[in-house]
Amino acid sequence: MHDADHAPSPSSIEGYLARLEVALHGADPALAHDALIDAEEHLQAAVRRGVPVEQAIEAYGPVDEIAAAYRGLPADPAGKTDETSGRSVDPPSTDGSPRGAPTAAVATPAQVPAPRLRDVPIVGIWFDSRAWGALLYFGGVGFVVATGCFVWAVVLGSLAIGLLPIVLGLPLLVLLLGSARALCLVEGAVVQALLGVRMPRRVQPVHGVAGVGFWQRIWCWLKDVRSWLSLGYLYANFPVSVALFVVTITMSALSLAMVTGPLLQAANVPFVTLSSDVDRVQYLWTELKPAADGTIRLPMSLALSSVGLGLVLATITLWTMRGLGWIYGHVVQAIQVARPHAVPSVHR
Amino acid sequence: MASPLHDRLNRDLSTGTSWLVVLAVIARSDEPIHGYEIARQLADEAPDGLSFKQGTLYPMLRSMETDGLVRSTLVPSTEGPARKCFTLTAEGRRVLASWAESWRASSRWVNRVLGETDARR
Repeated sequence: MHDADHAPSPSSIEGYLARLEVALHGADPALAHDALIDAEEHLQAAVRRGVPVEQAIEAYGPVDEIAAAYRGLPADPAGKTDETSGRSVDPPSTDGSPRGAPTAAVATPAQVPAPRLRDVPIVGIWFDSRAWGALLYFGGVGFVVATGCFVWAVVLGSLAIGLLPIVLGLPLLVLLLGSARALCLVEGAVVQALLGVRMPRRVQPVHGVAGVGFWQRIWCWLKDVRSWLSLGYLYANFPVSVALFVVTITMSALSLAMVTGPLLQAANVPFVTLSSDVDRVQYLWTELKPAADGTIRLPMSLALSSVGLGLVLATITLWTMRGLGWIYGHVVQAIQVARPHAVPSVHR
Repeated sequence: MASPLHDRLNRDLSTGTSWLVVLAVIARSDEPIHGYEIARQLADEAPDGLSFKQGTLYPMLRSMETDGLVRSTLVPSTEGPARKCFTLTAEGRRVLASWAESWRASSRWVNRVLGETDARR
């Protein structure tokens, strides 16, 4: 039970949101973020239509009931549960149980989950979709998205600043800030899909833009910290993405070469071909001399060592991707759920 | 005053039918419909004692979107920031038709049983 349960019913939207935030404490930050925006948008819509705020809050529901409804959503950000959950798109049950709730309390032998390959210690990472998703993200998708966003932000930012003295820069600056928020949402969707960290689905509204003139609306956009935070993210994400791209490609290419190089020898492809001015190389602490045509073939023992070490490095690469994906995803999530419009305290 | 058992039936009915009626309200709207408007229509048409808290509508809509039953779009609003509005997908229409048939069959069954009970009184 939360302390808010015993407090008098809130008489303002801000007070209700503060209690809802308390009730959602410990929930996924992106989910709590969306819950607060849903409530704020709904209650403001009700008040705009002339519904007294107390009545709107009562109709919306007690904070604990609403928080429980959000907490009951699937833990997987994609909303998919595994085959053991029993959740599917079924008609509403006639026994009054919530739709999608597991229908059997006692698992039959057929329902006992089979051990999954990804749960195997250390090597289970090869069967972990999150690790492969992170590899794809850091090794390509994230780099391309970050570069595209950075180019957009730099070009439009330069134009906006350059044209500021003739006022034309102001609308461009607003366009840049607005697009930064939208791009962050798109980037968040990609991060959620590949890294598996839940991202907000809702953009925090810019406060004060309703019912005001053009210049006041521009001022609201300019003073909204969330817009500047999004823009800063687009700039800062570029060097980070470049660094992660380099690390990912280096580790992947190295482990791939160590495994496939010796295997290709079986197909009569030399491990490496040297130019004529190199007369020896070091590979895995072993000195190798090229044949007359400059090609090097690994002896069997060295080839097996290379494949083994390559597989170990590939496993380390996947674990590294998994870890970096978790860290990166949660940093992006923290940026996206930041609430510069702080919710007032419960007792306000 | 309603007894706890009476409340229980209303609560169970509300829980069991909420997805069905929300899909139906979205289906009958000619244009993308906002969460507040769905809640308002449901509240206006709900019989006494049978209602659900409007705040539970949004996680429900989110689940429906995840299941591919509804699609959301941001629609610009003259009253404030762009609003998230919902339309039914083809899968949503198919599921609604299936659920509606289940509901009608259940309803006929309950009415038949109740009719027999009334006749014996």
